[in-house]
Amino acid sequence: MAYVIIGNGVAGVSAAESIRQLDRDGRIVMIGDETEIPYCRPMISLVLEGAIPADRLTMRADNFYETMGIEPVLGRRVDAIDVAQKTVRVGGDTEIPYTKLLIASGADPRPITADGLNLKNIFFMRTQAQVRDMLQVLPDARRALVLGGGLVGFKAAYGLLRRGLNVTMLIRSGYPLSMQADETAGGIILQELRRKGLDVKVGTEAVAFGGNGAVREAHLFDGDRTPCDMVVIGKGVLPALSFVPRERIEIDLGIVIDRHMRTSAEDVYAAGDVAEGVDVARKTRWVNAIWPEAVTQGRLAGINMAGRPVSGEGSLGRNVIRIFDLDILTGGVVTPPDNDGYDVFQTFDGSRNTYRKLVFQGDRLVGVVLVNDIEQGGVFLSVMSSKTPVTASREGLLSRKFNYKQLLK
Amino acid sequence: MKEVVVHPERCVGCMQCMIACATAHSKAKSLFAATLESPLPKPRVHVGVGQYDEGFPNRCRHCDPAPCLLACLPGAISRDLSTNTVLIDPDRCINCATCAMVCPFGVLRYHEEGSAPPGKTVAVKCDNCIGRQEAGLAPACVEVCKSGALTFEELSEAMRRKTNEISRTVSVAAEPQDLSPGFSLLNTMKKSLIQVRTG
Repeated sequence: MAYVIIGNGVAGVSAAESIRQLDRDGRIVMIGDETEIPYCRPMISLVLEGAIPADRLTMRADNFYETMGIEPVLGRRVDAIDVAQKTVRVGGDTEIPYTKLLIASGADPRPITADGLNLKNIFFMRTQAQVRDMLQVLPDARRALVLGGGLVGFKAAYGLLRRGLNVTMLIRSGYPLSMQADETAGGIILQELRRKGLDVKVGTEAVAFGGNGAVREAHLFDGDRTPCDMVVIGKGVLPALSFVPRERIEIDLGIVIDRHMRTSAEDVYAAGDVAEGVDVARKTRWVNAIWPEAVTQGRLAGINMAGRPVSGEGSLGRNVIRIFDLDILTGGVVTPPDNDGYDVFQTFDGSRNTYRKLVFQGDRLVGVVLVNDIEQGGVFLSVMSSKTPVTASREGLLSRKFNYKQLLK
Repeated sequence: MKEVVVHPERCVGCMQCMIACATAHSKAKSLFAATLESPLPKPRVHVGVGQYDEGFPNRCRHCDPAPCLLACLPGAISRDLSTNTVLIDPDRCINCATCAMVCPFGVLRYHEEGSAPPGKTVAVKCDNCIGRQEAGLAPACVEVCKSGALTFEELSEAMRRKTNEISRTVSVAAEPQDLSPGFSLLNTMKKSLIQVRTG
């Protein structure tokens, strides 16, 4: 038995561990573009912020590969997969045969189109190495520009603000976290960010960067110019699947997987940010590129690859983030389309700055937005994942007294 | 291995488990001295109210596999196999609330804690009173519970008892019987009071 895992992020690592639990002797090869010991990607912004040292990022022991009996092939990207011959080609001419293959190659930052992107001090923030590069320029940086108001853009802005820089954030949509939060929560977040000194410009984009060698200013869509000595691009991510043969493995936005994490090609599985399964709230195929989903999918893929057919219940888009004095937890369909059979219940308490919104389709909860008082968020999300009908009073669910017992008879 | 078993139908909502829990997790281990500590010790079991004001002692189930343990970003959550306890290392915790996002029962809270580095807000939840267990004591919530809503026993024993109780009620010849009539009466009264109040 030869298991080959493409990717040494958390999906790949979880899969390898599950395989090893069930198959002590099978050969496991892990191919990773990054050479570090497997680390926690969502935490790299904490290193930028200075909250933790880089050595706290590792998610497994230094000798992970040895103790798990894994052959690591690091620092290289996969060139191609031959589904007929069941081989993976790496580094030009190395062919690695597989019995079972997992594609857990993750995602890459979505590129932007603008002039002057070749200037120095323009960064993506996806890897530990990129954060290391950012830390190098911090001592000489005064003004930072962050493109994008998503999770990465926000975390970059937060970290740089904590490092004492003047930070300007450019958001194309009308409010930050527009993929995660609804308009009301977005407004609350925007207000909080501005109150804490972040310069947020909404409805605009950078179209060019100027400078002599290193970036000095950005030219905006509306003709404005903003001085800056470093730029972070956080415009989302795209599944990393350039090496995947599209004629043999079905691809939509990500690699299409079934409930067993199988792709359309035999003995090829996919998990994590590269995979596209069914979203339980949206009831359609969706790439939910989030950490807990990568763990779950990696684990399921590993168990299935080791020969035990276990199926998942589908993924659920969800996020939690703390923004200065605000806690935000969201999941599922937060902004339902009008007149489409959705019922929305919401409450806002200005004195405590709490906002709670629940989106129902009949008796099924399909969306949740919580601003502050987020401790019960997992209960709502779990009810969504398990598609449990909710008959409890909607007022009770919106109340700050809500707890698990309210869902019981 | 003994574990805490919850019998929700017997909870009267007195919240003594919460006081006992906070005290057990204080430095002084005595109620009056604990109230003077900073940070103020807080309970890790949370008595919630149901739709009709019934009590419910909501505490960590120490799930296996545990969603919080799998999802924890810094790997701060682990399992102690000898007591089947899911534990949080406050030093590694980064207060990201991912555990609250994945916990189906809503048992996590975030605050400063006597066992955490000073001034640091961390995720806090039930630790099965692992220190008390090492000293041969039952978890504090169980010890203080007067109504038998919380027991500390072998899981197999508790399941056998429950199976027997249920099996005595399902036969066609069996009279319908309430296994905890006093508590049912109390909860019925609470329910009618609410129904009278709200019409």
